[in-house]
Amino acid sequence: MKAYLAYILINIKLTWRDRMVVFFNYLFPLIFFFTYAQLFRAEQGGAINQVYASVLVIGVLGNGFFGGGIRAVVEREQNILRRFKVAPITPMPIVVSSIVVGLFNYLPSALIMFAISYFFYGMKVPGNWLSALVFIVIGTCAFRALGAIIASVANSMAESQIIIQLLYFPMMFLSGATFPVSLFPNWLQIASQFIPATYLFSGIQDILVRRESLLQIWPAVLALLATIALCIFISVKLFRWEKGEKLRPAAKLWIAAVLAPFFLVGVWQAYSRDNLVKAKEVTRQLRRSRSLLIENVRVFDGAKVIESGAVLIRDGRIAQVFEGSKPDAKALRAEPVEGQGKTLLPGLIDAQVLLSRGAGRTDTEGADVARALAAHLFSGVTAVLSADPQPQKVLAESARIARGERLGPDVRLSIQVPKMSTTRTVADIEAAIDAGASAIVGGANMERIPDAVVAKIVEKKIAYIPMLSVREAQSADRALLDRSLLQQVLPPIALNSIRAALPTSSAPSEAMLAIANDNLRRIYGAGGVVVAGSGAGNMLVFHGPAIQRELQLWVRAGIPAQAALSSATIEAAKLLRITYAGRIGAGAEASLLMVNGNPLAEIGALEAISLVIFKGERVDRSSLFDEE
Amino acid sequence: MTPPVMEVRGLHKRYDDFEAVRGIDFEVRPGEVFGLLGPNGAGKTTTVEILEGIRPRTSGEVRVLGYDPGVETLALKRNIGVALQSTNLPEKMKVREALALFASFYPKTVDGGKLLDRLQLSEKADAYYGTLSGGQKQRVAIALALINDPQVVFFDEPTTGLDPQVRLEIHSLITQLREGRRSILLTTHYIEEAERLCDRVAIVDQGKIIAIGTPKEIQAKTATRSRIDLRTETPIPDGAPPEALAADKWEFSGDRRALTVHAAQPARTLVELVKWIDSLGLTLADIHLKRPTLEDVFIELTGKSLRD
Repeated sequence: MKAYLAYILINIKLTWRDRMVVFFNYLFPLIFFFTYAQLFRAEQGGAINQVYASVLVIGVLGNGFFGGGIRAVVEREQNILRRFKVAPITPMPIVVSSIVVGLFNYLPSALIMFAISYFFYGMKVPGNWLSALVFIVIGTCAFRALGAIIASVANSMAESQIIIQLLYFPMMFLSGATFPVSLFPNWLQIASQFIPATYLFSGIQDILVRRESLLQIWPAVLALLATIALCIFISVKLFRWEKGEKLRPAAKLWIAAVLAPFFLVGVWQAYSRDNLVKAKEVTRQLRRSRSLLIENVRVFDGAKVIESGAVLIRDGRIAQVFEGSKPDAKALRAEPVEGQGKTLLPGLIDAQVLLSRGAGRTDTEGADVARALAAHLFSGVTAVLSADPQPQKVLAESARIARGERLGPDVRLSIQVPKMSTTRTVADIEAAIDAGASAIVGGANMERIPDAVVAKIVEKKIAYIPMLSVREAQSADRALLDRSLLQQVLPPIALNSIRAALPTSSAPSEAMLAIANDNLRRIYGAGGVVVAGSGAGNMLVFHGPAIQRELQLWVRAGIPAQAALSSATIEAAKLLRITYAGRIGAGAEASLLMVNGNPLAEIGALEAISLVIFKGERVDRSSLFDEE
Repeated sequence: MTPPVMEVRGLHKRYDDFEAVRGIDFEVRPGEVFGLLGPNGAGKTTTVEILEGIRPRTSGEVRVLGYDPGVETLALKRNIGVALQSTNLPEKMKVREALALFASFYPKTVDGGKLLDRLQLSEKADAYYGTLSGGQKQRVAIALALINDPQVVFFDEPTTGLDPQVRLEIHSLITQLREGRRSILLTTHYIEEAERLCDRVAIVDQGKIIAIGTPKEIQAKTATRSRIDLRTETPIPDGAPPEALAADKWEFSGDRRALTVHAAQPARTLVELVKWIDSLGLTLADIHLKRPTLEDVFIELTGKSLRD
């Protein structure tokens, strides 16, 4: 024990006297840190977590491979270890001290970087800080132990350098520490799961970003602990005191034994993909945590309009809405987004969709729920109410969206909203009113609703969802396919085959809507609750920009644009009981739509989408359909 | 008689295709300085390393302080001191720290400060190892070998590569140690070192001991004769030297002012020669006797020089 302590102490002293050690453990990671922080604009939100995790991993790799791997070889080559050979000690204290010394040299560096992240970049102290600390300690020891193995198997400095380069660079680049794993092609993503550093990086991220504890990332912890134990055992077994002692080439295969725990974990991950899904979710979470300031923009907050204002988004929520005064993005540590000439609205809510129906065809075979959801988000719809009678597929997709694995609007199921009644006739409506319905879906579009019934709907505050789009589509008018936004969400092949199936001439839709429009106008006029729902998934009502079309029909029916927009935002949110959505106000979820022009004056502008923000993430709309 | 501190019987060491040690027997008695003398590659270092417990042997019996180095390695290492050939310490380690570090490996140690005093290293106690001269480094190596107050000390080529001045310093250190009743095993390829320091010497060549004994015994056993060189002021007249020299080889220089005689019984021959010159009425300018060295013995036994 005395020998262990003395050996550790003297080596800590020795390494501190070595300028290279100080450089590699302290200066080098700090250079990386500031470069990364600058690159990822870490001051603008949660990216600092990623920067810290990346730099930590790069530091741990350097400390382990270059610090642990080369030092022992140098001491052997310089006949230093030979002197210890004649002393009454075993290789154990030498191997163990290398690991402990590595830890003592590196841990302060990790803490200094944490302090910088905390004080200058607003990183939060994780609630599970003990898990974070213990994990960093285990990780540092594990990679230092890997370094010890390299020293054990390398016959010379040159050889150890080669082995180190062979391990260091793949680990650095494939672990996710330099590039997010979720950006890799599929095969490389799987390959990355066999690399020890991947677990170091994802473990730290899971702890810092997902706030998980050591127990929740036990496979990584176990694999790293196994590495430490195996490396110590094998290093001691293969330990060589003199440069003259050469190792049999076959003995180098011991490295493979060391990587065995990660091989097992890798096989498991390649099969379960847990870690890859987690990586996607973490990336999502980081994207959602950015701070944005949308400036000089017209804001429709769900009810009223601010002609020129600004909206600050932090951690996926609306932090503040500014009216008149012009805030400074830099002082707020937010990325500025110019909104001049644009209108910012709450993300649209479509209160009636059938996701497992394709709108272009009558069969439901092979309906692509994921694609339908992507089309909605592409069009600025951030929440939908699914009326699918068999919602299994929808549930599966909405769970993936909720986890952050995939992008799409929030999904509510009609069964979650009590007492919604689908109606076609006045008789249906009267029955629904008697049954105590909360919403009437479909209304009566071919029958005039008597004033007495309208009065009842208004009096009982029953939400009226007319689905004018479904009525309009019954005209089978080819012109329905000509909208630009629709052409963006529908693949041309699908569009053409649908067009070919439609009759060349058709009844004008205007006349067909007369009754439906009148019903809607009268309920609205009487002060009733009106909610927009497109009925997308019905024949020729396509997923995506359907809600825009619905609102255009409302305005044509004589509903003021502002009221129409409220019906697709704040009113729909109330019906769906999504309290955090449908409005722009402090504390609300930052699911927003920004369009060019002013939809309050010209409702068509709602299709001129400039930006979609979902839970704080600027949605990369062009890649929405590429996912998977 | 007290039992020997080291006993070696029939020691063999074979590497893959090469037999470095081919049957070595010797013993070292308490308080004795024993030398293994031989050229590079003779098997000296291999032998010593086996005794130190850092190299396994192929066959043979070895006991050091009663321990079998191949089995009770740690116990042996605790009780011996070793100054290895060409070892180093980390450049940035201070002398004092090196002593403290090695002290931590042993259950029983001597005072590091006093040891440094004795080795005249006190001034350098806080110097980095990398800044020391060759002689200072060797003294540090000796200090480390003595930190556990060992009964047996091994010196493997203690002065190789050092300049003559430093070599003398190391020699006097080893002489001092010997006064402390320690047993010392020394390997060297310097004749003077063996002659000056060792109580007994074994001459090793090609993995075997070819002569063993005190330096005098070894010299006496050889067929090599002593040499007498004689010079006179004026030439020695023509004619043979006296009958007393009949058994010896002799040779005059060209000017007949010098005579070299290879004598079997040098003391008697010397007296005869002086008498003879005197009887010729000549003045003796110089006369001296040179006994055969271990070097001569080595050349005689192996047919080659020690220093190649």
